[in-house]
This record gives sequence, C-alpha cells and structure tokens, in this order.
Amino acid sequence: MGDGNAVNNRGGATNSSNSEKPEWLQQYNLIGKIGEGTYGLVFLAKTKSPANRGKSIAIKKFKQSKDGDGVSPTAIREIMLLREISHENVVKLVNVHINHADMSLYLAFDYAEHDLYEIIRHHRDKVNNMINQYTVKSLLWQLLNGLNYLHSNWIVHRDLKPSNILVMGEGDEHGVVKIADFGLARIYQAPLKPLSDNGVVVTIWYRAPELLLGGKHYTSAVDMWAVGCIFAELLTLKPLFQGAEAKSTPNPFQLDQLDKIFKVLGHPTLEKWPTLASLPHWAQDIQHIQAHKYDNAGLHTAVPLSPKSAPFDLLSKMLEYDPRKRITAAQALEHEYFRLEPLPGRNALVPSQPGEKVINYPTRPVDTNTDFEGTTSLQPPPPMQSGNSGGMAGPHGVNRSAPRPMHMGMQRMQPQGMAAYNLSSQAGMGGMNPGIPMPRGVPHQQQNLRRKEPSGMGTGYPPQQKSRR
Amino acid sequence: MAANFWISSHFKQLLDPEEVDVVHPLDKEKGISLEDFKLIKMHMTNYICKLAQHVKVRQRVVATAVSYMRRVYTKKSMSEYDPRIVAPTCLYLASKAEESTVQARLLSFYIKKLYSDEKYRYEIKEILEMEMKILEALNYYLVIYHPYRALSQLLPDTGINDISMTQLVWGLVNDTYKTDLILMHPPHLIALACIYIATVYRDKDITAWFEELRVDMNVVKNISMEILDFYEGHRLITEERINAAFSKLALKTLNG
Repeated sequence: MGDGNAVNNRGGATNSSNSEKPEWLQQYNLIGKIGEGTYGLVFLAKTKSPANRGKSIAIKKFKQSKDGDGVSPTAIREIMLLREISHENVVKLVNVHINHADMSLYLAFDYAEHDLYEIIRHHRDKVNNMINQYTVKSLLWQLLNGLNYLHSNWIVHRDLKPSNILVMGEGDEHGVVKIADFGLARIYQAPLKPLSDNGVVVTIWYRAPELLLGGKHYTSAVDMWAVGCIFAELLTLKPLFQGAEAKSTPNPFQLDQLDKIFKVLGHPTLEKWPTLASLPHWAQDIQHIQAHKYDNAGLHTAVPLSPKSAPFDLLSKMLEYDPRKRITAAQALEHEYFRLEPLPGRNALVPSQPGEKVINYPTRPVDTNTDFEGTTSLQPPPPMQSGNSGGMAGPHGVNRSAPRPMHMGMQRMQPQGMAAYNLSSQAGMGGMNPGIPMPRGVPHQQQNLRRKEPSGMGTGYPPQQKSRR
Repeated sequence: MAANFWISSHFKQLLDPEEVDVVHPLDKEKGISLEDFKLIKMHMTNYICKLAQHVKVRQRVVATAVSYMRRVYTKKSMSEYDPRIVAPTCLYLASKAEESTVQARLLSFYIKKLYSDEKYRYEIKEILEMEMKILEALNYYLVIYHPYRALSQLLPDTGINDISMTQLVWGLVNDTYKTDLILMHPPHLIALACIYIATVYRDKDITAWFEELRVDMNVVKNISMEILDFYEGHRLITEERINAAFSKLALKTLNG
C-alpha cells in the first residue's frame, strides 16, 4: 500500500450542505448498508472526488468494543496486515478513518460486487446449472495466487470460506478474485500465544482436521484445506463437509464435522499421518474417534470428477489429512490441472466459449434506509433524492431487498429457511494493485541479511493463458 | 511482510538522524532542547518497561510500544501529546498488535500503583481516546521489526554464544530502545552492532565472521558508536534533569 498517501486523505470535501458530517465522510456519497456483524456495519458508498468520481467503496465500520477495551483487536489485526500487503488477489484497503466523537473506526475498501458464496448460490438456486469449468479453474487459480502471496509473507488467513472470497464486478477488474476479511489473519512466525487462544469461533465446514482434533497450531496448511473444501463446493454447489456445529462450550469438540469428513475420506491412520497420535481429541476421545468404523467411501463419491483426472488429483492433495503432506499454494499453482484446457484467466466470469451465455450474477442487496450511524429510518426513503442532504440516498441506492447478514463478526445471523447453509457474506472489497512481486515457494525465513532486492519472480498468470483475455 | 523487511512499511519509514532529532516547534516554544527531548523519551521508555513488568508482557511488546512512542514524536509535539499518557497507551496498543492484549483497566491500575504523581494519572477513557490518536499519528502502520529475531539467528553463527555472551548482547539490544535507533536503522544492523560491541568488550575477535556477512561495516560501526555514546551520556542523567525537562513541558506558553 505504499507510502500511505491515500490514507487520511481529507480532500474532496466540496459539498457545503454536508457540513455536519465529519470531513472525511464528505468524500463519499453513502448508498446504503450492505451488511452487519458483531464488529459493526458495512456500507456501500461512492467517492465524490473528481479523479475517482462514482467509484464504489465498501466502508466497514467498527464500533468501540463493548467491554471498554478500545479498538477491537480484530480491527487492529486487519489494519496492521492490510497496511503491509499488496496483491492483485487480495482486497485493497484504500483508507482508514477515525471518528473521535463516537470512537468508531472506518476501513474503506475497493468494492467487489460478488463473492463465491453468492455465485455458488446463484447457480444452485437460479441457474440450475453447474459453474463452467473455465470459471471454476480461474477462480481457484486466483484464490491460490493470492494465498501463495499471503503464505510467502507468513500470513495465515484462518477463515477462508466462500463468502470471504470476493469477485470484482464489471469494470477494469471484472472477474478478478480478492481474498477478504483479515480479521482473523495472523502472522504465524513466532506467535506470542498459541494461535488458538483467542477463542474466536469460525465456520466449521472449512476447518482442517488437525484443528478439529484439537491441534493448537495454525499453519498455512489450514488455509489449503479450506481451499479444497471451496474447490469441491464450486464443483458441486454444495458444501463438501456440512457438519452440525456444536456450541456448548467456548471451543467445543466438533464431532459431527469430523464424522462428515471421515465418512467421505475414510478414517485417518497413524501410518499416513504420524503426528495424529499427539492431537488431543484423537488421543482422548477413543470411543468416538478412533474406535468408530468408517467405510472409506472415497472422495470420488462426493465430487463429479473421475479419480484419474487432474482436478481430482489436485483436490485430493488439498484434502490430504496430514498437514505436512498437504499441497501448498505454490505447489498447487504448478499443478497439471492449470496447464490443461481451459486455461485459467484473469476475468473468471467471462464465458468459456464464444457462443456461451453470459451469466448475470446478482448485485449485492443494499439497504438504503440506514445511515452511517447505523440508524434505520422508519419512513421509506424519499424518492430519488439526490445525495445532497443528510439522507444520502443517492440515485444508485436502489433498495433491492434486505441486506444479507455479514459473517465478519463472531456469530452469523441466519435468516429462516436457509439455516442449513452458510448464509453469511461479506462486503465487497477489492482493488487494482499490481502488487510487489513475491517469490513463490518456500517463504524466506530470514530478513534478508545480505541485502537483496525483492525477488522479481512474477505473480503473473501463466503466459499461455493470455489468449484467454 | 512478516518475511521480508525490505518491502515492509517499517523499512520505507526509516528516517535519517536529522529527521528524528527535531524538537517540535510547540515544544521548542516552551524551551525544550534536543537534550530534554531525548531525556523525556528515554524516561518514558523506562516507564513502559516498568509497566510491562507489572502487566506481564514480553520484551517484544515493550520494544514495539517504545517504537510506536518514538515514531509518534517524530510527528507530534509533547505539548499536545503528553508523554505520560502516550507511553502507557503505546504499550496498550502494542499489546494488541503483538497478540498479547492487556486490559486497559489493568494498565490504569498499575499506573496508579507505580506513580503517585497526579500528572501520571489518566483515566481509562483517556487511554482509549489516545489509542485512536496514536493510530492516526502512526498512519496505521503497526508492524515493527526488531533486532531480536536477527540476533537469535546471528549469535549462534558467530560461535561465541555462551550464556554470558548471549545475556550481554540481549541486554545491549534492550538498551538500544532507550535511543531512537529503531527508527533509523534496519533491525539486523542494530543486532550486529550489539554483537560487535559485545565482542570488542569481551576481547573476542570475529572480524573474519563480520567480513563474510557482506554488510556495510561502516554502518554497523556508526550504530555501535551511537550505542556507546548513549552509555557515556547515560551516567550523567539524573532525576533532577528529567524533572527539569518535564517542568518545561508543563509551562504554559503565551498562546497556549
């Protein structure tokens, strides 16, 4: 994110009728609320400054934490990491603002219209058809590309799930994947406390078996397990391991989730996974875990792939039980799957064949009745009010439907009727940033003592796919 | 970021001594000299260390907190940002950034316990307000690299890492936070300077080892000189001098 000139840019306050709003807020036209969670709210806004007029921005508002402990550590983590990193497939933080009056903190991101949760849902419920292979492959490649960047920088995301994988809508970056929501992301070198200690509960469906079995150490392999689950979900349109979440204690043993995994992949064995013996739940819950017999149904029963195909091979390597044997993001990018037609491309949403139908994914619902304070007005918004008064319901603020609940807090709100599915979602975030080229492969453990320039190994797409764009 | 210092915000923000040793005009107006400025920052470093011992956080949190505080004063005046609230708040923020969150009320409790002086007493609410002002002053750049990691890799490599040597070097590194070195030099060079001083002090010649490193030994020696200067000057520091500096800060200017 460079020199930070963008941050705290207080320019662009030209509309005098907005004078009651904090100065920085006057840079934006608020369109409406696009989500909420325990941490606060997410808004869609458009920039007013002449250079970027009408550019969509997602603004995440963090409330002061209720326990009287200032800025939430989640917000600190997210800002801290996003201020350092820059990659085309990682969401771009464009601004941070503080409102001292109510002690709230605002993060402004480039807005992404879609996310994998919505794309999958659209195919399942509306299109009634699978996502085409070009799109699946391009989404997966870009997800891995962003993840490889993070892992090379010793950042483990820890909460990858379809709603956190954003996809840019129409524009320069149409169909580009952006990994979002770094509220749980951690630098995993030399953690001061075991990473599991902060007691944050995340969606269990994408959780790696070593964590389900009580492993304390998050490694980049937990993200790769989640990518495997997401890959399968892109292929089948339903979550691969849809366990029922136990919620009894702060960090309960998720037996049902493990059961779902074992039913498909079979029982893990010490032979294939030697460190299994040291995992607490494996050692302790012998009756349910070790003694329970599973037929090894096989991954091929869960996905529409031939066991001999390249995508199946890649998927099975992502869903390897032993985290030390699980494929890394760098290795996955080199997998044969990505060298076979159709080759992955930058715009994942373009049709794979010239004559093929373009799928119009739905845009994010916006609640135009909510202002930046999170207050919902009881009256319907004035019709087509231009954005010159406190209402800020701009001409783009078409009230499509109620906003989806946001996952980013610790609990998800689940609307009726869809409780079985992960209904959470995510504010759009994304941005165009070529990023600093990061070396693929094994992360550098040392601060480059013998001063090297950052390696020039590219993050570019495989050259052969240029024909795709 | 975590892997590569050379692309970090910390690297990009390294300053020259001339940029660090600047007394803010508002403080200058009150008669604060460069010496006073350094003295107050050193005193607040000690304060952060003391507080950290009570709330039980590790040295890395202290190091990050001190770095935040020193960075704040390259941009803000002590007149507007009272060191006696900035210092504990930096510890508070650093504890979150370094994943060992300390509760504000615990911090407030120990501040009161450590200092009977009313000037040190700040309410929890004031710490929380200052937290946001510090975030702003730091321009939301929170990742700081420290010499410790380089040290733990370099020291064994020198072949003279007996316990007393290790303790000596770690102590030297801890003391570098009483200066602004962390704002001006890459952390591994600070680590090397500490190793250099320790080996000279212990009459161990590892010139060959240094040569193999292919680092600019002039920079390492300059850092070493600054550290030695600090120890030289440190003996002359008295409570009175610190109090005198703080009483200047308390002066009301004509405008203020």
